[in-house]
Amino acid sequence: MKFKNLFNPRNIFILIGIGIALAIPLIFNTSQYVMLLMTTVLLYAILASAWNIIGGMAGQLDLAAAAYLGLGAFTTGTLLIRWNITPWVGMFLGGLVATALAMLIGFPLFGFKVKELWYALSSSALVVVMQSLFMMWNEVGGPTEKYLPTGTSPWYSLRFNNYLPYYYIMLVILVVVLLVNHWIRYSKLGYSLLALGEDEDAVEVLGVNSQSSKLKALAIYAFICGVVGGIFASIYGYIHPAFFDTSMSMEITILGIVGGMGFIYGPAMAAIVMVSFREFLRASLGSQLAGLYLAVYAIILILVALYQPRGIAALVELGMKKAKTYFVELTRGRRADIKSN
Amino acid sequence: MDVEPILKVTNLTKNFGNLVAVNRASFKVNRGEIVGLIGPNGAGKTTLFNAISGLYRPEEGTIFFKGMNITNWLPHRICRLGMSRTFQVTRAFTHMTVEDTVRVGAYNRFNENNVQDKVEQVIKVCDLVDIRKRVCEDLGLASLRKVELARALATEPEMLLLDEAGAGLNATELAAFMDLIKKLNQESQITFCVVEHVMQMVMGLCQQIVVLDSGEIIASGTPNQISNNVRVIEAYLGKRAVHARNQ
Repeated sequence: MKFKNLFNPRNIFILIGIGIALAIPLIFNTSQYVMLLMTTVLLYAILASAWNIIGGMAGQLDLAAAAYLGLGAFTTGTLLIRWNITPWVGMFLGGLVATALAMLIGFPLFGFKVKELWYALSSSALVVVMQSLFMMWNEVGGPTEKYLPTGTSPWYSLRFNNYLPYYYIMLVILVVVLLVNHWIRYSKLGYSLLALGEDEDAVEVLGVNSQSSKLKALAIYAFICGVVGGIFASIYGYIHPAFFDTSMSMEITILGIVGGMGFIYGPAMAAIVMVSFREFLRASLGSQLAGLYLAVYAIILILVALYQPRGIAALVELGMKKAKTYFVELTRGRRADIKSN
Repeated sequence: MDVEPILKVTNLTKNFGNLVAVNRASFKVNRGEIVGLIGPNGAGKTTLFNAISGLYRPEEGTIFFKGMNITNWLPHRICRLGMSRTFQVTRAFTHMTVEDTVRVGAYNRFNENNVQDKVEQVIKVCDLVDIRKRVCEDLGLASLRKVELARALATEPEMLLLDEAGAGLNATELAAFMDLIKKLNQESQITFCVVEHVMQMVMGLCQQIVVLDSGEIIASGTPNQISNNVRVIEAYLGKRAVHARNQ
């Protein structure tokens, strides 16, 4: 019964969206640049949707997405380079490694109820720590890129000569992550997390174990980041400590907030709009003034913070509600007209 | 032989740095009773509640609930054992609907298959049917107090701690709220411990009253005994009031 809310009329839009996403590469003769761009958009959409579980629902401002992503990339890459283990297995192992690290970090943090700014700082430190660690660990990381072998079969080593397969893999993962989001949102865990994001003490006296609920949320989030990290390494064809990227973590958090904390489709929506827009700005403005696109990006953020702090999804929700009442009134008015006649 | 009290607090002490908020407090609540906890502002009533419900760790003393030593237990375990509470300043889940808020509590004893039945029942009992789809941030104080009671009630507690549930309500709302508590006490056999400033509510509801002043329990007894207790009058109105009364 957990999926009872899935077949809501408004989800038709989601289905249409997925349909369009499936069809774009087939209909248009898209260039490799556009394919990579769309794959990147999907990557951000997945990560922002995963962040929604720990950040949007549980209210923990996590800034460690790139730490888990990088760990997944290094696990997958190292397994392929050293032991020729296929990334199809590697990425799930990468997810598990990321989850293990997340548990190690999350257990004390949630035990001591570290929240808000303090949690954000602790988790963002994790990214930097991991980067330094892998920079020094020469067997696995080190300052030079380690390239993934192409191997005999592209499907075994997940190394393709175009971006199309990656795009579809990412699309499948995005749909799965959205379903996971949906399942959590309408289960005991989701209600507990949403309430935890509002007031932790008040939820605990209602019988919710805050530490274990948040650990579950963090585990799911870290696992998704780790799995995506494996594909990330395959797309780029190498592993490097620069994958532990603080600004990427930051951007994912921003997308989660702008999209709408706790709204299932908000972060993915924000990723699609904002990341494509960012790339468009970078391409069109980059030649005139490098970094100008970031300023425009920042202005959008400020506008959202000022006028719709609950995010794009809340805005869409509001718009739909208004449209609905408008149509109801319209039909009611018509009925009244008929009666009076 | 005495019946085993449902809640037994012995020598409970809670400090904040040098400030002793609760000092060696001991009291009992019998099963099925409504007990009032009163005292002037800053007497330590809410601190005592926080210590009992597990939000604070007491420095000293023991708390027994249903015969179990629950001192230093985490709040969610205490709730699973059968005690929940409300807060003085309402702490609603601002962006959640009334129904979803109640559901958070209902998951304490129910799973996905039967949680909806419990939600429906509590919403009906607490008279929240009209506002069930409303978001908590749009609600007024009287409704919020009811929602807080409802979500605690959904955990199926044997005992409820109400922290100033009557504060800020007008006469009609207060009367309705008191009726609801009486009904829950009689029909569902829930034991209540209420912190309250509204004397009308304390005197109208409680069988027993415990008076706290400067962190210490200075009196306990029936409403009648308490209203004639010299130390209580002194704590509330000062020594001159006692003097004037004796003349």
